[in-house]
Amino acid sequence: MNQFTSQQRKLVYLGGMLLLLIPIIFLGLPLDRKGRTSGQIAKLRQELDLGESDLGDIDPSGAAMNLVLLGLRGVAANILWVQADEQKSHKDWAAMRATTESIIRLQPHYTKVWEYNGWNLAYNVSVEWDAVPDRYFWVKEGGKFLQKGVNRNRNSSELLWHSGRIYGSKIGISDEARFFRKFFRVDPDPKFNGGPDPEWNERDDDNYIVAKDWYTRANDVEAQGNRERIMDRTIFRSYPARSQLDYASALQKFGFNEEYDRQVAGRTLSEAEQEVLQVEVRQKLQNQTQVAWKDGFEEWTQKYGQELFNVDWRGNLVTIRLEMGEEEIKDAGKTPDERGLLRAAVLAYQNMQNYRYWRTRALCEAEPETAEAHWLLFAALEEYRKQNLDTAREHAIRVMTLLEGIFKKYPELEVEEDLVEDGMTAIFIWQYAYKLSGERHPTDFPLKAIYDSRQEQLVEYQRLFNRRFLPY
Amino acid sequence: MDFDPQAFDFLEAAKSWALVCGASTAIIVAVSLFYSVVTRGSGGFSAWGSEVLGILSDLFSLSPRRVLALTQLTFREAVRRRALLVFVVFAVLFMFAGWFLSASTLAPEFQVKVYVTFVLRAISWLILPLVLLLACWGLPEDIRQRSLHTVVTKPARRLEIVLGRMFGFACVGTLVLVVMAGVGWGWIRRQLPEVAQKQLTCRQPVFGDLTFRDREGNQTTAGINVGDVWEFYSYIEGATKARAVWKFTGIDASVLDSEGNLRLENRFQAFRSYKGDMRRSLYYQLVLVNPETGLRVPTSLKTVNEFRGRTDLIPRTLPRIAEATTTEEAEETGGKPYDLIEDLVSKQPAVDPETKKPLVDPTTNELLYPAGTLIVEALCIDPGQYLGMARPHLFIRMPDRSFEEGYVKAVVGIEMMLLLVIILGVTVSTFVKGPVATLLTFCIVVIGQTAREFMQRLVNNQEQGGGVLESIYRLLYHMNPTTELPAGQATNVMRFVDGTLVDLMWLVFNIIPDFSFFNRALAFLANGFDVSFDNAVLPGVAIMLAYFFPCVLLGYLCLRSRELEAK
Repeated sequence: MNQFTSQQRKLVYLGGMLLLLIPIIFLGLPLDRKGRTSGQIAKLRQELDLGESDLGDIDPSGAAMNLVLLGLRGVAANILWVQADEQKSHKDWAAMRATTESIIRLQPHYTKVWEYNGWNLAYNVSVEWDAVPDRYFWVKEGGKFLQKGVNRNRNSSELLWHSGRIYGSKIGISDEARFFRKFFRVDPDPKFNGGPDPEWNERDDDNYIVAKDWYTRANDVEAQGNRERIMDRTIFRSYPARSQLDYASALQKFGFNEEYDRQVAGRTLSEAEQEVLQVEVRQKLQNQTQVAWKDGFEEWTQKYGQELFNVDWRGNLVTIRLEMGEEEIKDAGKTPDERGLLRAAVLAYQNMQNYRYWRTRALCEAEPETAEAHWLLFAALEEYRKQNLDTAREHAIRVMTLLEGIFKKYPELEVEEDLVEDGMTAIFIWQYAYKLSGERHPTDFPLKAIYDSRQEQLVEYQRLFNRRFLPY
Repeated sequence: MDFDPQAFDFLEAAKSWALVCGASTAIIVAVSLFYSVVTRGSGGFSAWGSEVLGILSDLFSLSPRRVLALTQLTFREAVRRRALLVFVVFAVLFMFAGWFLSASTLAPEFQVKVYVTFVLRAISWLILPLVLLLACWGLPEDIRQRSLHTVVTKPARRLEIVLGRMFGFACVGTLVLVVMAGVGWGWIRRQLPEVAQKQLTCRQPVFGDLTFRDREGNQTTAGINVGDVWEFYSYIEGATKARAVWKFTGIDASVLDSEGNLRLENRFQAFRSYKGDMRRSLYYQLVLVNPETGLRVPTSLKTVNEFRGRTDLIPRTLPRIAEATTTEEAEETGGKPYDLIEDLVSKQPAVDPETKKPLVDPTTNELLYPAGTLIVEALCIDPGQYLGMARPHLFIRMPDRSFEEGYVKAVVGIEMMLLLVIILGVTVSTFVKGPVATLLTFCIVVIGQTAREFMQRLVNNQEQGGGVLESIYRLLYHMNPTTELPAGQATNVMRFVDGTLVDLMWLVFNIIPDFSFFNRALAFLANGFDVSFDNAVLPGVAIMLAYFFPCVLLGYLCLRSRELEAK
């Protein structure tokens, strides 16, 4: 072999080790107290924001686990993923939740892991449960899981956006939206004593307002250069304003019942007390909704509409804003071709966001006539429920007249399903009030054109009408 | 509950074990005699005879005292080799385990599952490598260091050495297991949130047999699959004649609780084909049927409590309630209420109304509804919605046992697995060196734990894509498993070779122990059930003993024929 003695060999190994340590120490020197270093690795880590603390909160248990696993982190993560998938198909939710926790300890900065598992819990697991409170629990689990991911990856605009989506669309527009929105303020878990889960809805706010906060945070992080790769940037940045519009829309749709229930809070009220409270809530909500639509219009047109976007339009890089008027296009485009290009780009991107529709909708809803129509419809429904047919008919015809005026003023809103459904509801009340009084309703009436054009969907509108009388 | 505890047929298993052992012994005897005669000529008979006599002499002059001494020696050696350092790893694991089990937001019953599974798994995973290494390295190290030479010069037989090793390592393993189990129990009790502590219980279930009836009322073996990948659950459609039918046998007044109620617990699943009324869960109804008289007594409607289960208290005295979804009027609306045991449990075997002969199962020729049978039918009330279930999802709940009782049984299950690993490790180490013994035993454990299902499919020709050669061929030619192979000589050869290899695999499959039986106890306890002796403890003990006797003999023969000087 060789002529070294055992001791000499050991000394050679020691020397080799020391020699290798010199470049390692030199390259890996940590930062001093002033944040300076001569270590190249630390410098690069600082420049590229790759340090654990730069990425987000440090998780000592996860870091320890990764160290203990040496190079087997990938293998362990794969095994856990397979396990989690099997547990999901076996509906073993507790085990699946625990496995998910283990996975994120191994892959804390891989944002897709957070995204996938957050979605899995909030959407796929939630829907497997039959009771709505159980479904809501898993939606919360998914949301909280994503928020943990945000804390560990504070530069990820995508995770912030996904968190906002759970608050916004999962709670606000799922089939169980009525229940989820209620539970968001009054958690079904008795340990929260009829209030919200503070970890989930800290300020006891509307779900769309909370979603708006998350989307705004996502936009802030994105604006710092942390690009998202989920969707087109023009759509991504529209979400805070869209949330405000969704908030206004939800207030209009569910606000009265939600607020009324919250005010009653399980008390038993006399009929007179109920009426007083209903008037109070109606006035409060009417005002609140109008303000919400106004704010929505402002945010849609003055904030989002004014943002500059560099877009690739038919092979040309152009800078547009969605609220770009003809004057601005003329100023920005030097030649007729350039102006044509800009005009086409603005139009195309407006179509992509349904920008003009939302602008018109917000404008229309903020008008006093629209607000009056909505609240009169509530009153008509209430009167109809109490079988005060004459009053119900009066309110309904007034709603129909107001809505006809609105559709004349904003014809593009004739495709707006919420507004059309309100109109159809008013027509049904008006027709049934006549029928129940033993009279025939006049053949001509406001909104007749809309009524005639929706004959094929009459059964569906009838179903929606009946649903309004279900106990809330 | 995601497992279906099937009864372990001990007698059948014992019969098959005796047959295999007897046949193997006969083959070994015949082959060794033949070999002896062929290699030594006429002197082969006497040589073979004297060898057999020597073996029998060793077997019958076994000294418990010497075995005990060797056991003590093995125990001391293991302690000297710092085997008990495993406690440090265990302590570290449990100190930080709470970090990884952030399940406090989950419902209590789910928390129990997570904690119990963690503790029992952690104990198994820590203890198995320890005993595996000890068992596989013990004898080879003795031979390498020549310490075995001093033992064999004493009046100790090699059979006693093998036994001493096994018992010694078993003592070490048991000591470690007992300490870990104690700490684990304390940890569960201390760490589990107070609200979840109440869920630490051991239900004693009486399971029945499940069949189905389809929407037309025809008998079937399974319900509808609503799209689940895992076909464990079968679903019945609401407001039709579809029923899930459980048959409970051996029923008498002893199944009632102290207040005279029959506790029927279910774990039904709900599947909605449309949203319907989201304010409540789906309705189900249980109908109790006497198979002898055909008397049907429905119970009141209940809502499904999905994934958590619901215990229905069926009073012994049953009021007359109309059966949901039946169109005809209830026959009687007044009169004496029914008695659950007297009126609904069959007194005689059910008979065919036409032939008046007892109904028998055509496949097993046993009585279909013997005396003491109670039928429970479950039906879904909501039209267009579905109820899902599997056999263990409706059972009679007898008085609960304490969690500790079940925990001890689960630990016994781990102990059996530990003993089996020791038996295998020591046996293997009698004929190969330490590293090879470790690898071989490790492979047996891993295959026994994870790959038996796959092997079973392979040896039963249920795995698509063929054997080794066929799979390689298909991979190279990008052929999917369902494409027919081209006919020809090459395909025949390939299939012949694959068939031979699968036959060998059949042998391996039947030699490698089925470790899934040892995990049964964990599944019972984690799901809140008492660890059934017949289903979980007995199979573990039986498997361990089934390997113990042949392995001891094999180890002894290997050590007896081994040249100890050859390190």
